[in-house]
Amino acid sequence: MPKVELDGEEVFNLTLSVVGLVLKEGVMTVTELSQHFDVSPASILKAVRAITNSEDLGNYETHFYVDEDALEEGDVSFSQGQARLSEPPVLSSRQVSAIAAGLDYLASLPQFAQSRDLEELRTSLGGDITTAVPKTFTQTVELTVLRDALLAKTQLEIDYLNQLGERSSRVVDPLRIDFVGSRYYLRGYCHKNQGLRAFRVDRMASITSLDSAISNEGLAVEIPEDVFEGGQDQHLVKIQSTKSASEIFWNFPLNSEPKEVEGGLLGEIRVGNLRALGRHVARYGGDVVVLGPAEARQAVVDYAHSALAFQKGEV
Amino acid sequence: MIKQTSAERLFTLTCCLVAAPRIGVSKQQLLLSVPGYQEADSQDALDKMFERDKKALRKTGVAIEVIDGEGSDNPDDTKYRIVSGSFDWPAGLELNTQKLQLLELAGKAWQHQTMRASARAAITRLKSLGYVQKSQDLEIFSPRILAKHASFSPLAEAISDGFKVSFDYQKPGAALSSRELTPLKLRFLEGQWVLLAAEGDEVKNFMLRRIMSKVKILPLPALPISAETVSAAEQSLVEFVTGQQVVLELEADSEAWWHFGAPADHLVTFNYMDKELLVEDLLELAIGLRVLEPLEVREMLSERLETVAVRHA
Repeated sequence: MPKVELDGEEVFNLTLSVVGLVLKEGVMTVTELSQHFDVSPASILKAVRAITNSEDLGNYETHFYVDEDALEEGDVSFSQGQARLSEPPVLSSRQVSAIAAGLDYLASLPQFAQSRDLEELRTSLGGDITTAVPKTFTQTVELTVLRDALLAKTQLEIDYLNQLGERSSRVVDPLRIDFVGSRYYLRGYCHKNQGLRAFRVDRMASITSLDSAISNEGLAVEIPEDVFEGGQDQHLVKIQSTKSASEIFWNFPLNSEPKEVEGGLLGEIRVGNLRALGRHVARYGGDVVVLGPAEARQAVVDYAHSALAFQKGEV
Repeated sequence: MIKQTSAERLFTLTCCLVAAPRIGVSKQQLLLSVPGYQEADSQDALDKMFERDKKALRKTGVAIEVIDGEGSDNPDDTKYRIVSGSFDWPAGLELNTQKLQLLELAGKAWQHQTMRASARAAITRLKSLGYVQKSQDLEIFSPRILAKHASFSPLAEAISDGFKVSFDYQKPGAALSSRELTPLKLRFLEGQWVLLAAEGDEVKNFMLRRIMSKVKILPLPALPISAETVSAAEQSLVEFVTGQQVVLELEADSEAWWHFGAPADHLVTFNYMDKELLVEDLLELAIGLRVLEPLEVREMLSERLETVAVRHA
């Protein structure tokens, strides 16, 4: 966990929270507080200093008595003097929005859809509007096998359908599960390709857990934040989208930031396999147009024709 | 003289306000009480510092009420106090290991910087509810909320600060229209960000990707919307979705078949919210599925494919 320096407002927020927790739980060590709040011990000490220095000079009153001797031993202990503050204020509307939308997002993932704890949090923290999310198609994603292997650090054998519809089996060192938008990806070291790959969970035809521990190659690999990082052979494809289809630029590595043009956006994306491009472009029903190269345009035409033939029952 | 950092000054100020009698406390009293204010070089600097602190407190959720001295010229007659209820946490809200993990995930999911900072601050505050055991269980998950719409930040800001907004909206099959709304909530539905907002006294949903202009925050206060109006709108959305059903026939062993859970009878039936979004999802899997019902969606799918072919010919 990154333990970064906090700014003034963050230290203030932490101070309010430390007051609430210590008054509730009693004496706690600096280490416990640092782990609990996920901040450095130095930040905890800053918060404790704020509590110590909270004297009211006008009324000669001391809000809190901090046990300085205990603090030297690493214990945080204080009592309320004239203070009436015993817990932090409730969340600001901005904080509520951030947390509520984050919880809404988790609730949209099948894995958490049934969680009672999540439902309770959403009810308590959802602000004034409790959302009745209409349920539509829910993918039945079985993440248990993946999660168990990730925790046990053991390998998986995955029968996978790639984006061209080709099916193959491979051994994977599972490293992390990413939820991006409404999709799940397993990030893992693929022994077939000998490299880090992202596998869409809904394209896994079967998953078998193996007893073997994940390999040294798997342990050594660094996982970049971006799921859509490029492989070696990349095609540069120039595309134009309408404003409402601009999300296509979020789903590919970009060569440069897309530019605003009349009626939409213009930019270059990097594509691993042109044959797979058709479906991504076809999704937007003409609102995304590939400008070049010619092979990329052809790939889109091919996809559209195959799909039309399938629709007409010709395949 | 005690030197105070800005965090220490804000904390002492909060303590003084909380300890103040119900009638409030004057600015002069606060300036005398909080050691940090005695470091200011001039009256002007002091006033600015006090204003900045009041703003910072409000931003973090410490709502301050100003009680006017009813026409009195004496600044001591203007009193400040904390709005009642500011420290009233919802009854029964308790943390456990699982809830803490969910909160951490909800916070971690934000790529959006200001939302991420607000979520982090909220989690810190929620952690004061109790010391619970952490678990490593969810550390293997990395959720990512994609909220790259330019409209996201101004809408989130207007909702937090209680202002109306205006923007141009493109409803499919209709002309571009200008809207002036009270934004209520941003929600993630069907893989899309949707704004719940009141237009006049009607509550509606707007998809962020269909907002075609910059979102303007208007200097107009948000209209109060009753919980009944909102729940009526939610109910009608649920009824609408319940009434919309699609039936697909899937080709065995195709990606579409696996995607829809590999049903033995090769059929899948489900409800949908928005036919445009549904067609987009189906277009990606169109070599492997056929729409049996409704006819309109079946036709849209083929028309879109023809358009794609024509535009790339």
